[in-house]
Amino acid sequence: MAEIVCQNIKKNYGAVEVVPDFSLHVEDHEFIVFLGPSGCGKSTMLRMLAGLEEITGGQLMIGGKVVNDLEPRDRGIAMVFQNYALYPHMTIRDNIAFGLRRIKVPEHEIKSRTEDVTSVLGLGPYLDRKPTELSGGQQQRVAIARAMIKTPDVFLFDEPLSNLDAKLRATMREEIARLHKKLRTTTVYVTHDQMEAMTLADRIVLMKDGQIEQVGSPEEIYERPVSRFVASFIGTPAMNFIELKVEQSGTEWFVVGEGVKLTFDSSRFDVSVGQQVTLGVRPSDFEAVSEVTDRTLAGECDLIEYHGDQALVSFRVGSVHLHALVAARQRPSEDEHVLFQIRQNTSHLFDATTGRSLLKQ
Amino acid sequence: MITRFLGKSLLVFCAACVLVPLLWTLMNAFKVNADLLTPVPQFFFDPTFENITYVLSRQSVFGALYNSLIICLSAVGLGLVLGLPAAYAIARNPNRITQEIQFFVLSLRFLPPVAVAIPFMVIWLNLGMYDTRWSMIITYSLITISITIWLSIPGFQQVPKEIEEAARVDGYGPYAVFAKVALPVAMKSLLGALAFSFVLVWNEFMLALMLTTSDAKTLPIVASEMSQQGLNVPWGILNAAVVLLSIPPLLLLGLLSSFLNRSFAQKNR
Repeated sequence: MAEIVCQNIKKNYGAVEVVPDFSLHVEDHEFIVFLGPSGCGKSTMLRMLAGLEEITGGQLMIGGKVVNDLEPRDRGIAMVFQNYALYPHMTIRDNIAFGLRRIKVPEHEIKSRTEDVTSVLGLGPYLDRKPTELSGGQQQRVAIARAMIKTPDVFLFDEPLSNLDAKLRATMREEIARLHKKLRTTTVYVTHDQMEAMTLADRIVLMKDGQIEQVGSPEEIYERPVSRFVASFIGTPAMNFIELKVEQSGTEWFVVGEGVKLTFDSSRFDVSVGQQVTLGVRPSDFEAVSEVTDRTLAGECDLIEYHGDQALVSFRVGSVHLHALVAARQRPSEDEHVLFQIRQNTSHLFDATTGRSLLKQ
Repeated sequence: MITRFLGKSLLVFCAACVLVPLLWTLMNAFKVNADLLTPVPQFFFDPTFENITYVLSRQSVFGALYNSLIICLSAVGLGLVLGLPAAYAIARNPNRITQEIQFFVLSLRFLPPVAVAIPFMVIWLNLGMYDTRWSMIITYSLITISITIWLSIPGFQQVPKEIEEAARVDGYGPYAVFAKVALPVAMKSLLGALAFSFVLVWNEFMLALMLTTSDAKTLPIVASEMSQQGLNVPWGILNAAVVLLSIPPLLLLGLLSSFLNRSFAQKNR
């Protein structure tokens, strides 16, 4: 068990700066997820933790020890790769035991430890097969077993589920969550799938262009996104955005735009009159109403996506398309005039130029 | 239907083009001169073992067979020992320097063999090693090393990087990763390099002709000498020598392919 401390870590490839400045403190037993679009530097960061990529600058500590220049084997880590990276010429048994053989663990101990991990992961019947004879999900389980058997201080996962089909991904996600609950090993998990991040993480590290955009629990990141980027990245269906302008009349504050005039609670936001802002509303925070109020948006419904229990209603207000998630039974029909009200205290305002959230801390 | 028939016929024709001369050589090795020199090809004849016996009874043939085996196997072995690590290093570190090295090792093969042979002759004469097996092993190693490097680089490039990284995380150093992971995973394509470099030096003629006179003569040289006995070309003997010459490479290829089948057969369950 160990905590990980990253202090001002930098990574350059020649003149290209991939990670300019990364600082993070991962607590012992914590499950951290690096989340971000492809090319945001999250995998590079993980590979630097693993020791597969050199660290250009800054300091990395695992378990209180500076490990910048240590080989992977001296860092107390185990890693699971995206494409499983099993040794194709070895049986499953040898794949799992390969790491233990190097440190000359006695053969009977290897045998008992192999049995322990394989029974946890349900790999017993496949031990004498070669990796190519296993399905993708089984192969990934072998990769996890290979990492587990070393009883590392830190688990590193590099997009472990992205090569699996959707159904299997959900099952494996659950299994990884169970394993972490049982082993309590400090874990860093890289993914571009927000669903995995939300369900697995104790804390999510949302990255963009090599920099940390926001660190927080899944709830914090969902409820209080610090920027428009975070808000748009987290949540399905994606948040709606409307470009508006702040106005004030008497004690009432409004955001005004083409065909839109909405009041908002000015005590929640740091705004000034005349400021250009982006209003963000999650599709699930719209509710269908019958009367026009100062919190309603009216528009023409032009498309309905039926999801089963819910339906995603696409409607046009002025020149923007918005989406609202409604109960499938109460969905309007296409071309109908619709009226939606924003639920109290659920809207977000972002500065139109910087994209930062204007929500008061 | 017709296109399939035509396609198959074309394949049969191509196969015949390759196989008939080989079969003809094999048959001729068992014919007496009278059968060989008739204008009408003889498909049915009384086989004779005279030619084979003649070839096998000559001391020079056994000496040359021995030389050829020692020289070629050693050169191929050296080629693997030195060429495989070099190929791995080049495959894993693609940069300008390694590209130059890769090109340079093949440059020996760009020159006409004579241009290579003459300097070698001078070198070995001056070192007092002319016409020795050692000099032939070293000369042939240059060929096998360059061929091994060239043919193994793609093999090593196909080994997924993640597998090697997994081995590093499992605690293995670069040499162990090479020996325990990269080498066995790339084995299939490396065997091709092995077979090809063996065949290349086994059949090598020009260098052997210029660098040996008696002690280190290889089989191709001795076989060719048999065509120069008197005025009549002894076709039967020549064919028998060719058959003898082709057996070791065939054996090697057979062994390799059975090894390939054994280690890469999918167990179907």
